[in-house]
Amino acid sequence: MDMAKYRELFVSETGEYLRSMGESIIALENDPGNREQIDALFRHAHSIKGMAASMEYHSIAELAHRMEDLMDRVRHGVFPFSPAIADLLLEGADTLESMLADVAQDQVPTQHAAGLLDRLSGYQPPEPAQSAPASAEAPEETIPLAEPPEAKQEQAGEHQEHFRTVRIRTELLDRLINHTGELLTTKERLKNVAGELASPRLTNAIEDLAKELRELHIAVQNIRLLPFSSICDRFPRVVRDLAKKSGKDVMLEIEGKEIQLDRAILEGLADPLIHILRNAVDHGIESPEKRGAAGKDHSGRVVLAARREKDQIVVTVEDDGNGMDPAQLIATAVAKGMLRQERAKAMTPGEALMLTCLPGFSTAREVTEVSGRGVGMDAVLTAIKTIGGTLSITSEPGRGTAITLKLPLTIAIIHVMLISCGELTFGVPLNKISRILELERSALVTRGKKKVFFLEDEEIPLLSLNRVLGIPSRLPARGVVPTVVTEVRGRRAGLAIDRFIGQQEVYIKDLGRPLNRMKGLAGGAMIGDGQIILLLDVANLL
Amino acid sequence: MGLKILVVDDALFMRRMLSGILEEENYEVIAEAQTGVEAIEQFQKCHPDITVLDIVMPEMTGIEALKAIKGIDPGAKVVICTAIGQEALRSEAMGSGALDYILKPFEPENVKAVMRKVAGL
Repeated sequence: MDMAKYRELFVSETGEYLRSMGESIIALENDPGNREQIDALFRHAHSIKGMAASMEYHSIAELAHRMEDLMDRVRHGVFPFSPAIADLLLEGADTLESMLADVAQDQVPTQHAAGLLDRLSGYQPPEPAQSAPASAEAPEETIPLAEPPEAKQEQAGEHQEHFRTVRIRTELLDRLINHTGELLTTKERLKNVAGELASPRLTNAIEDLAKELRELHIAVQNIRLLPFSSICDRFPRVVRDLAKKSGKDVMLEIEGKEIQLDRAILEGLADPLIHILRNAVDHGIESPEKRGAAGKDHSGRVVLAARREKDQIVVTVEDDGNGMDPAQLIATAVAKGMLRQERAKAMTPGEALMLTCLPGFSTAREVTEVSGRGVGMDAVLTAIKTIGGTLSITSEPGRGTAITLKLPLTIAIIHVMLISCGELTFGVPLNKISRILELERSALVTRGKKKVFFLEDEEIPLLSLNRVLGIPSRLPARGVVPTVVTEVRGRRAGLAIDRFIGQQEVYIKDLGRPLNRMKGLAGGAMIGDGQIILLLDVANLL
Repeated sequence: MGLKILVVDDALFMRRMLSGILEEENYEVIAEAQTGVEAIEQFQKCHPDITVLDIVMPEMTGIEALKAIKGIDPGAKVVICTAIGQEALRSEAMGSGALDYILKPFEPENVKAVMRKVAGL
């Protein structure tokens, strides 16, 4: 029998089982007698064994079998679930995951599991301590990880939903959104033609088409959406492991698991969030002793929450740890030569907190297990910007820190302002534009070699897009100056252009090498009249 | 058209594989279910000629579903799927009215032989 055609399904479904196992293990650590979780854990190991045996991945089947066996003994009350069993099973699940990664690459799964197999089958509960009652089993090892109260209902609901869903290859989804994007472009072209022909019948037909396309666009975007839970299911594990390692008590609460996000954004969000959570546990939450001395609850609390706000998704990570001191951050930045004294004096507390996102600011550049390379907050900020988001920090010394990420709903199709500069047309994403102005030349003030203007009493530097791009302007230096106001590294800046053309919805495409390596370009798009335009990434251009 | 089959297993992978084997033999898989509860619902809705039922499932085990199905239709033909090492469950299922069993991991020839036998009963 040709099993290759089942491989993809095997990989995705086994991956789902492994994620569920991880959740069950952690839930059991918190509530070792939970019958439902014990049964689920047993069943999942059993299912993986059966599927792997069918695929003839015997090393996977063997390891899953030993895990199933261990859980079977727990299930039958031979011994209770314990932190030691949790560790063994988590190690097993991790090993299975890396074997599964081999399978996904069409390789024979590497046998990592030699000693582990014996430890799983040879597990014996520790001898009960002298006179300790059975219930007092290592309470200090248990790290309670709160689960939202609705979790149980959700699980039951999920089950129903699973059955009514179909699996679609993600490439197919990408193609679907690609074609939809092209259709929108074609519609814009038709609109232009209709305008030239001055045909009301054609214009009406195009209006109808536009409505249908809008519906289609929304539908296609919706099938690309995944719940936030699809990435955050592994976070309790990350927090648990790190808290355990650093001897802290940390409760992770996750809110808004059901919030839907674009797949591409979720993919880009997972690693930055893990880093932010690690920071919260590592640098934010204090040791139980220190917390006790400060009159706080012994266990720290980290809340990861996602919510929708208009056309944005807002994700926050809040901890009730020791917070950050802006003055100290400024002092560190000055000492490292990253900040000049004069600038330091004028810095607001909010700006000072953002210093943590400067490359090289963080001294604690640890290697993360997830990405396997050193990342600091600068990498987090870059990653969030790449998916079109923003990051801000608030903190209160002694009380905790909150990091807020604002993300677009989707990244492929966006509204842009079309502008001209010399002979070229560019697009600037509307969400990057805070104001559009036509400045009187008399309102410009010269500061040394630079020009500035005033907006709401704030002095804003004015840069010329022609100069930045090295394109000669064709306009005489008279009349008003069309200006786009944008934000660069938290400060407003004006960008003088030749002319505004208008707004349009465009489908962004990657420029491909070598153009995609040019700083300041966010991609390319075709606009209604068939012209190819470049999208400016203003934050990185200036 | 061939006999109508209801396939019940909590793993999609297993349902696909089993359906693949059955369709090679011209059986018609008319419905799938992934829990015992769904199995009963589908059984009442679709009236399959043969139900192929996994034992280890969430919510309601295969054995409980088997008993419920036999309660609805004492003549229902049910084949169960079990793994090596589940002999006790297997004999409980056979005692509760299952006609035969298929061993996991599935061997296409074993599946086909068991189905032929049960179809002829």
